[in-house]
Amino acid sequence: MVENIRIGVFVCDCGSNIAGVVNVPDVVDYARGLDHVVLADEGRWSCSVDYLSKMQDLIKEHQINRVVVASCTPRTHEPLFKRTVKEAGVNPYLLEFVSIREQVSWVHMQEPEIATEKAKDLVKMGVAKAALLEEGQEIRLPVKTDCLIIGGGMAGMSAALNVADQGFNAVLVEKEPQLGGIMNQLCFISHDHYKSPAAILVESKAAQVHAHPNVTVYTDTHLETVEGYIGNYRVTLKPNGDGSSGNIDVSTVVVATGMQELEPEGQFLYGDDPRVVTQLQLDRMLRDKAVQDVKSVVIINCVNSKNETRGCCSIGCHTSVKNAIALKTLHKNASVQILYRDLSMVKEEGDALEKAKKIGIKFLRFPDDRYPVVATENKNLIVQVFDLLIGKEFKLPADLVVLTTAFKGDETVEHIKGLLKVSSNADGFFQESHVKLGPLEFPADGISLCGCAKAPMTFKESCEAGTGAAMKVSIPMKRGYVEAEGIVADIDLANCNQCSICWKRCPYSAIKVDAEKNPEVIKALCKGCGLCAADCPKECISIVHYSDEQVMAQVEAALEDDPDRKIIGFVCHWCALGGVDMAGVSRLQYPSNARLIRVMCSARVSIKMMQHAFDLGAAGVLVAGCEFPTCHYITGNYAAEKRIKRTKSKLAKAGYDPERLWNIWCSAADGPKFAGTMREMVKELNLK
Amino acid sequence: MSDAILVIGGGIAGINCAMNVAKYGTKVYLVDDTASIGGMMARLDKTFPTNDCSICIEAPQMYDVDNHENIKILTNTEVRKVKKVNGEFQVRLVTKPKFVDEEKCTGCGACVEACPVSVPDEMDGKIGGKRKLVSMAFPQAVPNVVSVDPACRHGEMRKAGACIGDCKVDCSQCRECPIALCVMACEKEGKKAITHWQSSKNMKIDVKSIVVATGITDAKPVGDLLGYDVYKNVITNAQFERLMNAGGPTAGEIIRPSDSKHAKKIAWIQCAGRGLAEGKGTPYCSKICCMISTKQTIITKEHDPAVETTVFYNDLKAYGKGFWEFYRKAVDNGVDYVRARPYEVFEDPETKNLTLKYEDLESGELEIKEVELLVLASGIISNKRNKKLAKVLKLELDHLGFFKEKNPLTAPLETKVDGIYLCGGATGPIDIAESVVQASAAAMLALQNNLQVKS
Repeated sequence: MVENIRIGVFVCDCGSNIAGVVNVPDVVDYARGLDHVVLADEGRWSCSVDYLSKMQDLIKEHQINRVVVASCTPRTHEPLFKRTVKEAGVNPYLLEFVSIREQVSWVHMQEPEIATEKAKDLVKMGVAKAALLEEGQEIRLPVKTDCLIIGGGMAGMSAALNVADQGFNAVLVEKEPQLGGIMNQLCFISHDHYKSPAAILVESKAAQVHAHPNVTVYTDTHLETVEGYIGNYRVTLKPNGDGSSGNIDVSTVVVATGMQELEPEGQFLYGDDPRVVTQLQLDRMLRDKAVQDVKSVVIINCVNSKNETRGCCSIGCHTSVKNAIALKTLHKNASVQILYRDLSMVKEEGDALEKAKKIGIKFLRFPDDRYPVVATENKNLIVQVFDLLIGKEFKLPADLVVLTTAFKGDETVEHIKGLLKVSSNADGFFQESHVKLGPLEFPADGISLCGCAKAPMTFKESCEAGTGAAMKVSIPMKRGYVEAEGIVADIDLANCNQCSICWKRCPYSAIKVDAEKNPEVIKALCKGCGLCAADCPKECISIVHYSDEQVMAQVEAALEDDPDRKIIGFVCHWCALGGVDMAGVSRLQYPSNARLIRVMCSARVSIKMMQHAFDLGAAGVLVAGCEFPTCHYITGNYAAEKRIKRTKSKLAKAGYDPERLWNIWCSAADGPKFAGTMREMVKELNLK
Repeated sequence: MSDAILVIGGGIAGINCAMNVAKYGTKVYLVDDTASIGGMMARLDKTFPTNDCSICIEAPQMYDVDNHENIKILTNTEVRKVKKVNGEFQVRLVTKPKFVDEEKCTGCGACVEACPVSVPDEMDGKIGGKRKLVSMAFPQAVPNVVSVDPACRHGEMRKAGACIGDCKVDCSQCRECPIALCVMACEKEGKKAITHWQSSKNMKIDVKSIVVATGITDAKPVGDLLGYDVYKNVITNAQFERLMNAGGPTAGEIIRPSDSKHAKKIAWIQCAGRGLAEGKGTPYCSKICCMISTKQTIITKEHDPAVETTVFYNDLKAYGKGFWEFYRKAVDNGVDYVRARPYEVFEDPETKNLTLKYEDLESGELEIKEVELLVLASGIISNKRNKKLAKVLKLELDHLGFFKEKNPLTAPLETKVDGIYLCGGATGPIDIAESVVQASAAAMLALQNNLQVKS
């Protein structure tokens, strides 16, 4: 069905913010002459309640089915206009937003005529794209209320209880015969010496878990396979030993596989001399009251930590102080010494340090590059250590040497990360989706991460993370669905040659393949970055609202007149457009040559798009994305960077000067950087 | 009966807490006593250990919160009274006037341009940051509206050149103002958003649970600690952060306050004020300052690799995932880490350079070092407004001014009042990722409480 396209263009004055520079009536007149435009109107304040209702009336009156709003920036105002057109009966994906304040009037204040011309161009580009827009809609995938929790330590149990308390079903799988994880090896918790033995904390939590009607516990069981995605996981569990495996279906997953000590085999006589133990072994000895009558204990911190391959173990300092206090309390006359590099004890942990010093525990700092040496002399253990502060080497006799070792992820991590298609670091700790803002999540929806599976944590932190992870998986379970914005990929299999690039490169595992390697987008999981579409060699992937045709139409409209003085800028919606907006807010003035085209991610920009601009005579092309390592689609900017390199060599082969293709990676605060790049480009490309 | 949750504090913890609750389907009041949500994180340039641009990752979350149908944001708003009735909280909120009609203001900035008076910005004061008497908290502020400094409206800025203030009639009595330049600028734009006659608004809400997310504060060195109050070129971590921020008062130029010249030799002093009595310094390890300074050295080197950077420290706190690697990156980039105990700072009155006297802990020698800019890692303290809020909520603070948990082991983030939970900097010094984890956990606890007190 060929629909009669009727475009309405609404140009905002923003008081004098736009109208003070841009001749808005002129732009409105110009818009009226463009193809498919049935109405163009000027609004003093388009975002005011009065004008929004006028806009709705006009849409209805003129049967407008595509809307172009030319005003401030989509980053702040697009949701408002989307709601407005939706209420007027127009699908919100049929709205195109054109930024003529941040990109025009605020940055070309001294050149009203040129600014007006640029505003016209941007409106023309918006109309060209609007004519090709297609309806979109949010996509939902049903999610039921069964959650698999992998790992029955404190984090896993906290997650399970919180899931179950809401009336959802928690399936808790633990590979060991009993719940508790690494806590089962501990004597006491560092925060609270002797008041709360670890065993009591574990027992009370485990009792709650076992008693909860909504928690199904599988101990002594491992995961054989996991298939599917949020809302649709099929999990195969197998009891350790002989039992036969069984399937369960769940909707969400919490990963809480914990950690283990990295045993310092062959170092510091560990493994050779039974008097050399790790902190966990000491904890077990303390728990079992198996510490013999010791006279001299030497604790060595940072064993295999803070070196070339591994970072701080996070919990060693207070573990060493905790256990030193425990030993000293048991054997008041014993000498207890902690050899350390840095003591990092936060807030009230500092009080424990003071207590340790008060009861006579000695601290001795050794240099980062000169670790203590453990040796035997006449069957006696001797620790040789260079005291950094005194500047002298000492020989410390010891009848017990305790090594504060580093940790690594559980041995099941390799298997599980393959099953769930997530990643881990060299030490076997799972990689969260964002170090700062996504600490409980993986890139794929529906899988959450908590506890020491992410990194070593204290007891308290693990419990908090378990509760937080339960929050994350509970949201889709409570809503009953997971929803994606309508900007998603769509694969036309007609041309597909099963090359596998799309599903292998998708950062969200949102493309599945069938037995014949035919890809299919799980639309509810797609975030719409467009990486797959830009990389597809057969061009059979389209992105709603950012299709090849739509972007090309913008390029063509921009370059219709005077292409040789124009720069086509592909700008990512997040940081780069943030930088553009920042330049505007800061009223940084820069040359007006650029015509910016918004894409969700710099990874959307295909070689074809860049080359098309040059084919049409563009003076230059700029691709602007998020500054590394930030990317709202995890690694889109990295993909874009690689592709730009490839484009340059392609351009050279096609006879274009590859130096006319520029790229910048800019943050949302980088107004000066964006404005500076504009000036530089114009200068380097010899533009007027 | 209301099913809502109140989140007090609109920093990254409050934002994440509110977002989780809202996505779950429950209504949230997100209350902040400043003019915008965003908190401490909105002021940062970068975040460790990845050097992500702070506002780039926070602003989208701020817009999401702003656009979520289940979230009501109330800025400039304080919690004044809380009464628990049948397991629910009756809360009285007071919104202090911004002297701006939030519905009408579009954040265009015409009034800011018209305002004749600039004053030092509270946060950026020492590094030359200024704001007008009518201003926006920061460019990405949510809500994106300006506010008028109450001092102007109260007539206190008349001497500084303010256009209003010596009328016979109090502003609250007028409904228009023929003399205020901001009002006229706004009217010229066709808006009547500036309303000097605005008064405080009271609001009563009923909620089932409350989450306290009041955040942390950077400690200001007290008195002449290491020259802070005496010498212009001694600044804090927080001020340096603004200095290197492209969105800050110097547009990201690392220049020193005394002469606006690029600083070529910069030193950081860790644990500045640590161990001093409460009120005079930060008596404990604040956990995150080592990484803050490490980040600042790395970014400084990125701006200009020739800048000489030295960090004087005692114990290096590199406790989180990737933190130690971050420190090593700094060392690889040529940052000099010296284990030292600095004890005195002198300024050359001519060059305004600073000479630092310190004891090198490794050699035991007394040494000196001359630098052009000195940055103090003065630590993280509790929000000073915690005290008042604790009283309103009937909660206890620990001796450091942070909110006390019911039992950190068996009931983390819970308080002695059922239905009130904690997250983020309200519990102690904390980094962004840990705040986000706690925010999710506190949201979960609050929602569980809502389920239990179903009436």
